[in-house]
Amino acid sequence: MVFIVVLIASFLLQMVLPWWIIVPVSFITCCLIGKTPKKSIWEPFFAIFLLWTGVALSYSLQNQHILADRVAEMFGLQTWWLILFVTALTGGFIVAVSGICGYKFRKTILTKVHVSHSSVNN
Amino acid sequence: MRNKFKAAIYLVIPILLAYSLNTKFGSVPPILKFLNPFTGFWKNSVAIKQPKKSKLVLRNTKETVEVVFDDRMIPHIFAQNDHDAYYAQGYITARDRLWQMDFQTRYAAGRLSEVVGVKALELDRYQRRMGMVYGAENSLKGMMENPKSREMVLAYTAGINDYIHSLNSGTLPVEYKILDFKPEDWTPLKCALLLKQMSAVLAMGSDEFYMTNILQKFGSAVTADLFPDYPFREDPIIPVGTKWDFKPLQVPSAPQANSVIQTSQIKTKQLEEGIGSNNWAVSGAKTASGNPILANDPHLNLTLPSIWYQIQLHAPGMNSYGVSLPGAPGIIIGFNAHIAWGVTNVAADVLDFYQVKFKDDTHSQYQYNNGWKNTTSRLEKIKIRGEKTETDTVIYTHHGPVVYFKKPDDLKMANNVPTGSALRWIAHDRSNELLTFYYLNRGKSYQDYRKALTYYTAPAQNFVFASATDDIAITANGKFPLKWKNQGKFILDGSNPANDWKGWIPAAQNPTVKNPERNFVSSANQSSTASDYPYYINWEFAPYERGKRINDRLKSMENITLDSMRIMQSDSYSVFAENILPALIKALDPAKLNATQKEALQVMYKWNKSYGADAIAPSIFELWTKRLFFNIWDDDFTIENIPMRYPSRDRTVELILKDPGSKWFDNVRTPEKETLPDLVFEALTYTCDSLERKYGPIGKDWKWGNVKGTHVPHLANIPGFGSEILWNGGGKSTINALSESNGPSWRMVVELGKKGPVAKGVYPGGQSGNPGSPFYRDMIGTWTKGELYDLYLMNSPQDERAKVLNQLTIKKK
Repeated sequence: MVFIVVLIASFLLQMVLPWWIIVPVSFITCCLIGKTPKKSIWEPFFAIFLLWTGVALSYSLQNQHILADRVAEMFGLQTWWLILFVTALTGGFIVAVSGICGYKFRKTILTKVHVSHSSVNN
Repeated sequence: MRNKFKAAIYLVIPILLAYSLNTKFGSVPPILKFLNPFTGFWKNSVAIKQPKKSKLVLRNTKETVEVVFDDRMIPHIFAQNDHDAYYAQGYITARDRLWQMDFQTRYAAGRLSEVVGVKALELDRYQRRMGMVYGAENSLKGMMENPKSREMVLAYTAGINDYIHSLNSGTLPVEYKILDFKPEDWTPLKCALLLKQMSAVLAMGSDEFYMTNILQKFGSAVTADLFPDYPFREDPIIPVGTKWDFKPLQVPSAPQANSVIQTSQIKTKQLEEGIGSNNWAVSGAKTASGNPILANDPHLNLTLPSIWYQIQLHAPGMNSYGVSLPGAPGIIIGFNAHIAWGVTNVAADVLDFYQVKFKDDTHSQYQYNNGWKNTTSRLEKIKIRGEKTETDTVIYTHHGPVVYFKKPDDLKMANNVPTGSALRWIAHDRSNELLTFYYLNRGKSYQDYRKALTYYTAPAQNFVFASATDDIAITANGKFPLKWKNQGKFILDGSNPANDWKGWIPAAQNPTVKNPERNFVSSANQSSTASDYPYYINWEFAPYERGKRINDRLKSMENITLDSMRIMQSDSYSVFAENILPALIKALDPAKLNATQKEALQVMYKWNKSYGADAIAPSIFELWTKRLFFNIWDDDFTIENIPMRYPSRDRTVELILKDPGSKWFDNVRTPEKETLPDLVFEALTYTCDSLERKYGPIGKDWKWGNVKGTHVPHLANIPGFGSEILWNGGGKSTINALSESNGPSWRMVVELGKKGPVAKGVYPGGQSGNPGSPFYRDMIGTWTKGELYDLYLMNSPQDERAKVLNQLTIKKK
């Protein structure tokens, strides 16, 4: 569920807002519907990893990776798909952190009420 | 309480992370702002397949404009009035080159710190203190005074701004994303700044600081001997014997000299040959078709995006093709159906330093004409990214700005500036160069060409000309101060009114020649005239070898075609080697040579004196002569705290050939007495040793193409955005004056005639400034091979000669 929500919300919101909107998207999603810590890390991670890979490829394929190759060289990397991997990985990393923080945030706030439940889940 | 604290931490971590990945640290771009595929660099990956037809609505046009992009993405603009032509030029140029235009004008204006931070501060100060903005403001007044140039600049500016306003964070050129800043609105001042920067590149040379030190150290006899007022060998631009059919003005007389010694921490540097260019035109009498042919290749620092932008402008009264400078309206070098024109630099002395005596440390008054004169001051506010704005106060005398009271430690370009001196520079004067190009673009005849040149101030250029009616001409053109001989060879005393510039050489009396008997005209930055020209332009110009080679070739050539002119532009034969090599070989004692040196000598024997990429002789010759010149002059001219320069190549060659026993060959730092053969041998030993150290034993790795390593770097040196190492021949003293990353920035040959012009050209880059575009550097391969593309002067948007990639219609509504 988190995967789908983060994927779709991020796609739509990034059309009009800066990239960093994916950070609150992942935070809020996991805060509201993140089931386990593991899922709150990996689901947003893969959502953005896939989304960004897809969108980047849609531009880069039509360009035959001319620019991606040059930017890869700028970062000291050998070829275009390495810079694609770095892009998707960094994007995934930040939403993963954000997701787990969102999940933990809920748990911390809710600890007062459900002390025992939350400690089990933790 | 603890939970609240924990919760806060969970909130803060993602925010901090997002913030840090959205921020630029040092030279690292803001990582995720740059990498994310929605607004980051991926978005600049333009699709290679483009639609055949496209439309734009731009309400600032007056009527519909058609823009046809040919197979190299060169725009052919068809407008129905002047305004729309320049408006569309601005819009389309910005679409391809916005970041470059922005960056170059920021550089010119001393505003780089604003975007790259404190590391550019010293450079920014230099630009401001040299009066770049002051000069641009004066120029702007000149441009705005004339209704034609005013319309040009305003329409061009409006076009650029309409493009800038159409951008969003995703469509910004990629360099903005790397350096993390945004474009600001274009202004007419920026057009003026761009032209000032051309003056700075081409006409900011000044040796008077060094020459003054030499005069003080060696006295006037030695100075006159080693730094003569006319070269030993010369082949001037205006052929010897050309009559001056005018009555010259009275030239002011020279006052008694009283220079002051200048010291600083700077060391003498070996004189590097500056930026040069070639142009020539041959009349129909020498061509196969009977039509005149014109050729031009201006040499500049090569960069990506390229300094030039090809364009055709078609409007009522104008149909012109050529290269423009991104940031300035009109076409700078080009042709139309009637005429063709090109430029090379004139090394005119239009920059002088005046020693100023201030009354006290407040610098509010200075001595002038036996009294005290007030200074003015100009505040230069330099914004610095991430730091407080700095205000730099520059003192101005009536001569111009006092560039430095204390010089910066590490700014190479400031080396030749004497401290405490005021700068008098032609580029500070009100001017309107755009008008020259306005009239040339529309020119039909020799008279139109002559009229257009009268509007030109700086940087002075040799304007070569050919017309379809078979007139050819060349004019060393610019606004030249009326000087006494050698005025400004040394630093001048700023308190003596006799040292001021006293007027101008009338434009009609600038050195010029039309249809000379030899049936060709040419220039390669050498002396404008023989010594009989009644005015003083400068005491030293670029060395004569390139010009000599051009003239030798053109004299002997008959039945010239566009292709033979093309081949001549890549000619790498060295007259310098022809002149000096026999003397160097003669000075060597073969018995003293080791195996490598013997082989090197064999290579030199066999050399055809051409700087081919596959030859190893040029690698040896370049290093050998450079080291030899160092051996001859360094002991005398490198003295602590007294920066000087070496005598010229011409004078050194003369010394070697005519005076082999000269005392200058002795190294004064050793007790022994060295002779020319000692220095030649040491230089060869040094050359072979250092080539061996770097490239291994003598062999294929010593090839000139490898040793020279020509490449075209990115304008801001962003790694990955430049070209690879290119396999090119050529050298600075040859027609194909191509060194490591300086050389022919545009090659053009044009044949004019009744059937319309036939033209070919290329520059080392591409039309697009986007490193992601297939048109970013697509012309480099052709340029490297010395080949040219056909240039199409289209008659209408439907003209079928050009292969059309895209046709853009710009409508008002």
